[in-house]
Formats: sequence, C-alpha cells, structure tokens
Amino acid sequence: MSKTTQAPKALRGVGNFIDDRFHLAKTGEKNLRKVFPNHWSFMLGEIALYSFIILLVTGVFLTLWFKPSMAEIIYDGSYERLQGVPMSEAYASTLYIDFEVRGGFLVRQIHHWAALIFVASLVVHMLRVFFTGAFRKPREINWLIGVAIFGLAMVEGLFGYSLPDDLPSGMGVRILQGVMMALPLVGPYISMFLFGGEFPGEDIITRLYMLHILLIPALLLALIVAHFMILWHQKHTQYPGQGRTDKTVVGTPMFPAFAVKAGGFFFFTFAVTAGLSAFVQINPIHLFGPFTPTSITSGLQPDWYMGFMEGALRIFPNWFDLTVFGYAIPTAVLVPGLVIPGLLFGGLAAWPFIEQWITGDRSAHNVVDRPRNAPVRTGIGVSGIVFYGVLWLAGSNDVLSETFSIELYLTTYIFRVLIILGPGVGFYITKRICLGLQRRDRETLEHGYESGTIQQLPSGEFIEVHKHNSDETVHVLKSKPTITSTALADDADVDDKGVENPEARKGTGKLRRALAHWYTKDNVPIDDVEAHSGHHLHHSAAEGEKEAVH
Amino acid sequence: MKWITARRRHPLAGYVVVILALALFGVGYAALAPTADQAQAQTLAADAPSQDDVNVLEGKEVFDQTCATCHNYDGSGTANGPDLRGVGPAAVDFQVSTGRMPSMDPDSQMPRKPMAMSEQDLQNLIAYYNAQIRTDDLGPDIPYDVPNSAPERSEFEDEEAYEAAVEEYQTEYEAYVEGAEDTDMGMRLYLTNCAHCHGWSGGGGALTDGRWAPEIHDASPREIYEAMVSGPGAMPMFSDGVIEPEEKQELIAYVKTLQAEPDAGGIFALERVGQVAEGFIAWVVGLALIIACAIWITAKQRAHD
Repeated sequence: MSKTTQAPKALRGVGNFIDDRFHLAKTGEKNLRKVFPNHWSFMLGEIALYSFIILLVTGVFLTLWFKPSMAEIIYDGSYERLQGVPMSEAYASTLYIDFEVRGGFLVRQIHHWAALIFVASLVVHMLRVFFTGAFRKPREINWLIGVAIFGLAMVEGLFGYSLPDDLPSGMGVRILQGVMMALPLVGPYISMFLFGGEFPGEDIITRLYMLHILLIPALLLALIVAHFMILWHQKHTQYPGQGRTDKTVVGTPMFPAFAVKAGGFFFFTFAVTAGLSAFVQINPIHLFGPFTPTSITSGLQPDWYMGFMEGALRIFPNWFDLTVFGYAIPTAVLVPGLVIPGLLFGGLAAWPFIEQWITGDRSAHNVVDRPRNAPVRTGIGVSGIVFYGVLWLAGSNDVLSETFSIELYLTTYIFRVLIILGPGVGFYITKRICLGLQRRDRETLEHGYESGTIQQLPSGEFIEVHKHNSDETVHVLKSKPTITSTALADDADVDDKGVENPEARKGTGKLRRALAHWYTKDNVPIDDVEAHSGHHLHHSAAEGEKEAVH
Repeated sequence: MKWITARRRHPLAGYVVVILALALFGVGYAALAPTADQAQAQTLAADAPSQDDVNVLEGKEVFDQTCATCHNYDGSGTANGPDLRGVGPAAVDFQVSTGRMPSMDPDSQMPRKPMAMSEQDLQNLIAYYNAQIRTDDLGPDIPYDVPNSAPERSEFEDEEAYEAAVEEYQTEYEAYVEGAEDTDMGMRLYLTNCAHCHGWSGGGGALTDGRWAPEIHDASPREIYEAMVSGPGAMPMFSDGVIEPEEKQELIAYVKTLQAEPDAGGIFALERVGQVAEGFIAWVVGLALIIACAIWITAKQRAHD
C-alpha cells in the first residue's frame, strides 16, 4: 500500500480509538461500499423521503406559533381586512404565522407544497415498484409497509388541511364527520366521541393537532425507517443487464458517488418545493376567511390525494340507500367513504400474495421485470390507475364542468360510465401494447436494429440494413422470463407420490387454474430465437446464401 | 434546405417539429381569434337622470326594435320572452347593462357581454319602461345611490370632463365600499347566501341543468345589487326586506374588497381556483421537475461508476 492512502496521524489516532471500542471499521467499510443500482426510477422513493424531511422541518417551525385552540377571539392582528372578525385561535394564529412571523408565509407554503409532492412521489414510487414486480419475494413486507405509509400519509394530509380552521378545512372536517355518521349503529357515537359533542364542538382541532404532529408522524417515521432498513438489508432491485443477476448487484457504491448524488438530489427537491412556494400561491387561508358552520361554498376541493374519495362520493348513486327498522343505511356515503378506499388499499396490500398464489412462484427475485414482460400484471396496474384516475377527476367535476362548459349532470353520467368501462378498456389496451412490445423485442433480437440505411441490391430490391445489437441489448432481450404457473404443470393435480391431490378438484383449485391460465396464456416466446439470425442481416450476402437462410 | 436535411433525423427533431407546430398554432390562434371584450357598462354613478335628460319616445323606439320581438309591444311577453310589466326597472337595467339582453338565444343562459346599446339609449329605454310598461310600480327600482361601473373615455368629448367624471366616480365608489365596516357581516352574508353558487372568491361555479353561476368580478356594485333584488335566471331574489340595503352594502363591499385583495402567497395565484389547480401544479410542475432532475443525475455514468 502506498503511503498516500494513509490518513493523517491525528485522524488515525481518533479512528483507532473508536474502532478499538466499537469495531466500526468493518461495518462502516461494508456499508459505505454498498452498491446502489443506477436508474432514475430508483430515485422516486427518495423524493418521498426528502419531502418528508422538509415536512418535518417546516412543521416544527409552524408549531412554534400555531395555537390548536377553537376558543373564539376577535381578530386584532395586522391583516386589516379581517380585523374585528370573530374567529378561532387556530385560524388567528395561522394568520399570525402568515403576516407577522418573518418568513412564516413562505414556510407555510413550503409545508403545503411539500405535502402535495410527498404523496405524489409516494404514488409514482409505488407504481414503479408495482409495474416492475419489485414487490415480489423477498420484498412483500416492504411493500406492505409502503401501503401503510401511503394510507397514513393521506390521513396525515387530511388532518393537516383541517388545522387552520379556515373555510375549506371546516368543510373537509364536515365531510369526514358525515362519513363517520353514515356508519350503522356506531357512527353517531364515534362522531360524538371524536368531536367531544355535536359538530363542530370545541375539541376537534386540538385532537387533530395531536394526531397530525405527534401520533401519525411518529408512525410514519417508524415505518419509513423500517422501510429503509429492510431495503438496506435486502439490497435494491435492479433492471436486467449484463452481469446483473439475482445474486449480484451492479451499481454505484454508496460512498462517495451515490451519497453525493443523493445529497444533491435532496437540495434539488428542496429547491423545486421552495421555488413553487415562493411564486405560486397555495391554500390562501387569509382569503378564504374563518369557518363558520353556516358557510358553504362551491368550487372548493380537498387536496389532490383525497380527490378520489371526493369523486367516489360525487358519482355514487343513492339508489341503494336503505332503511332498516327505522334506521337509515346511507350506502351512497358508506360505499364511497369506506368500501372504495378499502378496495384500493386492500387490493394493493393483497396483490403480491394473490400473484404468488396464482403463479406458485416461491423464488426470490432481485432482478425486476420489464413491465411488458408481465402483460397481465401491467394491465391490472393500468386498470387500477384508470379506476383511481376517473374517481380523481370526478372529484373536480364542478371545476371541469365550469372550465369546459359541460353540463354538471352530464359529467356525473360520463364518470359513472367510465368508472365501469374504463378499467377493462385500460387493461385490454395495455395488455395488447405489452404483447406488441414483446413482438418487437423478439424481432429486434432476431434481426438487429433498424439502422436507417437503405441499400439497393443487385436485383433492384431496396432493403433497410439491420445492424447487430450491442451485447447489453441482447442480454436484456434474452433475459425475458417466461411466466408460468405451478397450477398448470402436468403434475399439478398429483402430489409427489402420484396420489391425486384433493385440493385441485375443489373450487379454489379450479379458480386458481383458471386464473393461472388467464395470467400466463399470452406470451411471445423467444426460446426459439437465435440472436441476429434473421434474414434481413443477410440480404447483402450472395443470392444463393440468402435463399438458404430463408 | 441542406441544414434541415442534415438534422431531420436527429433524435430531437420530432420534438422540435411538435413544439414549432404548437407555437405556430398558438400564435396563429392568438392573432386571429376575436379579442374578448371586457364587458363594461358605462353609467356614471349618479342620481337618477332627470326628466330633461331622457326621451321617452326614443326609448319606445329602442323597445320596439330590440325588445318587442320576444316581450311584445306592451311588454306582456310572448312564448319566447316573459312578461316585463312587473319586473321593475332594476331588472331591465341589470339585463341590458350586463349585455345579457337583447338575447340571441332565449333558450340558453346568456353570458355577460358588452352592452348592446349606448348609455343614453338605455336611459331612454328605462324611462319608456317606467312610463308605459311598468304596472302599478311593481318590481324593484334602480338603486341609483349604489356606484355603477367606471366611466369610459368614449362617453366624453374632452379629457377634462372625463377625468372629472373618473374622480367623481372613484370618490363615490370608495365611499360606498369603505362605508361598510362590518367585514364579519358581509362575509357571513356572502358565504351563507352567495358562495354556494358563485364560489368563495366570486369566480363563479357550475349549476345543475347546464346552467352556471357567472363570475361576478366584472359586475359593478350596482349590478350586483340589481341582481340581488331582481333575481335573474336561476338566481333567487334577495329583496331589501330579506337583506337590508345596509347589509347589501356590507356584502358587496366584502366581495369587492376580496377581489381587490392582492395575492400574498405569490405572483401566480392560479386564478384562485384552489385545490384542483394546486394539485395539478404539484404534479405537472413540482414532481415533474424533480423527476427530470432524477433522470439528469442518473444519466451520466462514468467508467468507474
């Protein structure tokens, strides 16, 4: 070892002192050299992490002045328009943060923009994991943690939105209370308990404040830490490529290269959030005015992540509302308020296990799928996006109606039709696109890529010259897995001793076989393809040879 | 041509063509499209015009030419238009000064437009309406003490008279808006009675059956007042008995003050649309920029990476 790699003596002394006691050198060395695969889509989760850090920091700043109290006072602050108006202390202290605390307005806007970007980045991160199949064994637990983070983030956002006690937050809390009241039997009790009496009561802001700054952030933080520790332990997934296998990770070492990138990325995330907050007004509570139970306004929505629930409420018909023994069962509120989010989060949480049950695949996967190579999964993902997206759009149907001059009722009917047809159409189109891409992959593998060079043959024929793919491309194309299911294997209905398995004859066995057939039936096989064996490559060869290749 | 030929297969060529085409259409449309005229009625806020200033006969001419087709010569209405005899001059002033009448299509809701006739014609029309058509003084009167829109230069012969009129108007407008002192009352009245259609900011909103509540930012205080007392279209009527004139002043002052309020949160206020616009920006600007950065910092791979 050359002398230049030695640290200065003073540092060595400190380093040795610590290492003699904690034996950190080995662990440190191992973790600093940890390899992180290099792809932009692997940074999406980091956006969520950084937004969360921004939320924590700005949130602490806001708590220094925010008063979570519903005690009514007469406003006497520096915002002239509302002087003399009775309002809650919560609203007045938010005005104080906006107009009297130095930088308070900016920090409040950063907090709000960061919240919107936080949940949005959770969604895109989750979609990336879903479409690449990165939730498969051994990462199911981390997927479940992710689903929990997503759900908690939504609730956290809703409660934060409700704290300033301005006009939209009061309306949001009212809708929340309405959904609670719709619960059969227990609804009114839960509502009375949470609000400490009738809506709005005098306790709700204080209670939501505790949930918003203490309980839910603590849970989120714990889950995020767990998410990262599991990621660290299991290592990151990677896209197929040369040298990348289920046992070998190829990428950038944590220190210094990846740490620099990730650190820089934090500052970029912060810059975009701060830039938005400096120039684009968000949630102008001073314009809305304080909430009073008689106030109601059109044109206000929840923040975007609650939009799909708002949309479900808006388009679900009231045809199924019942009265049982004199008690109303308002299904038009219950289904959108509980069943739809239940379906969404339940479906997300269950999918890794459903897929495992269908395919019977119990092996560990560290190389992810290209979405086209799992067409049914990709199709299901897109139909989920369509379902969510239609509900989300329906949540803003009044704004859409006004902006695009469409009749309000007509938008409701359009969304009702779309919510039923859209997911199916989305599934079908996506699956066809995936299979089309598979066919093109097969062709690229067989013929090489189109070079754009046109040649005229001695016979007068024009051809486009195909060139050989790089080794990397060939490797990626050839790595396409064939999706199979143990339910379809020849010996699926007999056990290892040749005795017929009674499970296979039962309903679930039949269902599993049917699903497995549906899941695996469409596939463009590449097993019979030899790379660069297609005839296009040989057009420039002599006539006789060309015939032979055909 | 050679320059283009050399570059037309560049990977970015397609994007450049799309951007150029979009720019061409955008600029072309902006150049050719009809400019949206800001609707402005042009009355000077003043007392009721004296008898000497109006001409009932000319008002009859205006009525017979522009109103009688649908509302009949005696104002009793036809299948196309309602009976006007009991609606009151406030309704006439509101409908005509906001350009909603004369209507091109009686079956659909009329948007706000520039007034179709001159200010003098409107005064004559109202005088004729009061003299010949209105029955038993039914319907609300025009609130002449509430300021109307700012005067327009074209209504005046010389600059001096115009400036004097503007000054007079501004004094009157400020006196009216600042005469309201109870923000809480104005806010509660607005948020209880108006905001569920016109929106918290007065930006308008969607209604049922293909109707919409128009935005009220262009409306003068007098037009807002007249709309309340006459209840045009689907709007309910808020007579002076239901909301007293002083309360109306508080309400109108609240709307106008809120409208004039600067957007303290940033130069882009997103038209005060609220959460839908904010969510849209969070995705297509915020998250998109950050992801673009992720693509950027992971794109360059050095040999030893």
